[in-house]
Amino acid sequence: MAQHNLGTVVSFEFIRTVTKGRFWIGTLSVPIIIAVVFGLIFLSNSTTDTAAAAQKSAQFSISYTDASGLITAQDAALFGATAADSPDAGIQAVQSGAVDAYFDYPAHPETTAVLVHGADKGIFENGKYAAVAQATLTHAVEQRIGSPQLSALAAGKAQIETVTYDGAKESGGLGSVIPPLFFLVIFYGLIVLLAGQMLNSTLEEKENRVTEMILTTLKPTTLIAGKVIALFAIGLVQMLVFLSPIVIGRLFFPKELSLTALDLPPLILDPVRMTIGLLILVGGFALFTTTLVAIGAVMPTAKEAGNFMGVMMALIFVPFYAVALVVSDPQSVIVQIFTFFPFSAPVTALLRNGFGSLSVLEAGIVIVILFVGAAVMLRLAVRLFQYGSISYTSKVNIRTALRAGPRHPAAVKPPTTGR
Amino acid sequence: MGEARVHISGFRMDFGDTTVVRDLSFDVQAGETFGFLGSNGSGKTTTIRALLGIYEPTAGILHINGRDFKPEHGDRLGYLPEERGLYKKEKVIDIMTYFGRLKGMERRTAKRWSLEYLDRVALADRATAVLDKLSSGQQQKVQLGVTIMNNPELLILDEPTKGFDPVNRRLLMDIIAEQKQGGATVVMVTHQMEEVERLCDRVILLKDGTAEAYGTIDEVQNKYGGRIIRIRHTGPLPRSPHYEVMLEETNYSELSITDATDEAVILKDLIDAGVTVRSFTTTKISLEDIFIRVYGDQNKPSTSGSAGAAGSGGPAASRPRQGV
Repeated sequence: MAQHNLGTVVSFEFIRTVTKGRFWIGTLSVPIIIAVVFGLIFLSNSTTDTAAAAQKSAQFSISYTDASGLITAQDAALFGATAADSPDAGIQAVQSGAVDAYFDYPAHPETTAVLVHGADKGIFENGKYAAVAQATLTHAVEQRIGSPQLSALAAGKAQIETVTYDGAKESGGLGSVIPPLFFLVIFYGLIVLLAGQMLNSTLEEKENRVTEMILTTLKPTTLIAGKVIALFAIGLVQMLVFLSPIVIGRLFFPKELSLTALDLPPLILDPVRMTIGLLILVGGFALFTTTLVAIGAVMPTAKEAGNFMGVMMALIFVPFYAVALVVSDPQSVIVQIFTFFPFSAPVTALLRNGFGSLSVLEAGIVIVILFVGAAVMLRLAVRLFQYGSISYTSKVNIRTALRAGPRHPAAVKPPTTGR
Repeated sequence: MGEARVHISGFRMDFGDTTVVRDLSFDVQAGETFGFLGSNGSGKTTTIRALLGIYEPTAGILHINGRDFKPEHGDRLGYLPEERGLYKKEKVIDIMTYFGRLKGMERRTAKRWSLEYLDRVALADRATAVLDKLSSGQQQKVQLGVTIMNNPELLILDEPTKGFDPVNRRLLMDIIAEQKQGGATVVMVTHQMEEVERLCDRVILLKDGTAEAYGTIDEVQNKYGGRIIRIRHTGPLPRSPHYEVMLEETNYSELSITDATDEAVILKDLIDAGVTVRSFTTTKISLEDIFIRVYGDQNKPSTSGSAGAAGSGGPAASRPRQGV
């Protein structure tokens, strides 16, 4: 029956959260914002592309002078440009409306700017002058080199790939860092989004006086474990919803959304680091959840419990103050402390795991610390819940509760009513 | 006696240095309705919580159906706690279905049962409403429904009428009667003596953590003298070893007969003492009278210095078993 009730608690807690309108308002607001940003990028790119295409095919009159001697009359004619008598004449022709643009190529265009003068056609339209001036010069230089291949190489378009080795084994570089760091993102997302819900999860039973009816139908361990599992599932749903616009964008609109700048190196999924990342994520989540539940069990109201939220949140951000050390000197004392102190361990260890500086032995120790810590906190949370949730209006004396045996009521004051 | 549905023996409960219940023993038989009586702070709720495993007793045996209660055995238990409430932000039907499932019912069965119950208590149209939106009386009905889900064989009702309006109180009493007819054992913790007299087969009176009286209502009444004389009269009443004056006003008094003396003898003694008797009736002592007699001294300043002293306030002959 205990297992049956665990499933019942998980489904109740999960369904009642995800069927609430406010859950979806909060959850969908993030992807909607992302979608709006992507939409703006798409529109911007479309406008830019349209303008660029228009410029390419734009016919406008050009005059030029070339002190460098790189541009031949044939090169200029290809773009419809005619030579001006002098820079002043060229500028005057633009100002009088005789030509649309005048390009002043200096003697050393590799060090000195090409001056472009044009009739004002608006911000977007004005870009065409520079584009054509550049295209004319590029074409002229290519003609001089006489080889498109050499031209491309000279323009720095050669593709370079780096391969590094960890001993005889090829190491993954950035491509191997990103996947395990993803667990860190998930951890942050889960904690930041769900910490309040974790803290209030058992307070609800207490504030609504449901505890006694609950405790006669299921064990407190089952109730709390069910809530933790449901919270984890809810967090994953939120993460999936948050990521959906990015995934959809990359899959279906890679060009329109101009994500080429974010083009990632080939991702390498190292099974060991991925497994370590997953275990640290689960252990860290369990530790933080049970700790917040324990705090909630002690406090009489959500308001009082909320004071502890800041402390818990600080603990997951503290390792970032030493992030440079975490990456560059993982064996330093401060990083070692952050790695093995239970509440800073998840973030520090996930960072180090991502950057490949967490050994399997260290990872094993961290995972044991997290899971043992979670088990201890679960036990503590259950005990405090069992007492604290009956103590409807007052805080539980934690020290007394810890000294007391299982379900020993020494931890609570005698009931003030009924008795 | 048949099978004991509830068996409590030598129960003691300490909260730190405070002893709330001491050496309490009693049984509740299957199928009976049992009144668990006592003043505020006498240890009733503590006993119920220990019986249901919410508290661990300091000493003693507390059994339901011959074993310690565990949540796994809660399928056929209906418990209405003194501190009551449900998930305020959830829909009524979802709450009831959830508790039904926790009690081992299938989701569909729990939902169907809940809808039928809500229809019966005129809340069918509020099934999908959030509990918070219901009136206090409507919420009480929902709470009651949750309590009696899955046809409980043992109903433990801690102050069941607390906060109930008269309409809901009637509903509650009807439901208790139905459950009893259906074979349920009912344990009522209450201060409502009329309800106890009407519904309960046996009672226990708890005072300062010990049993003050225990047995059928007749037995308890008999232990406290059993008979009350209500008399309208002129002139002061004389003191007498045969009765105790419970109430004395200018022309009206209530006397509790404390021994086997016939009422006629007492009447003759009064007339002989010069009292003009205008009416003279004898009734059985009510539980409320007993309650006042037992607990009435709790509001008086203590002179003994031991509020929890066992045995204070009742005749020695009425002392129930201390250990069955």
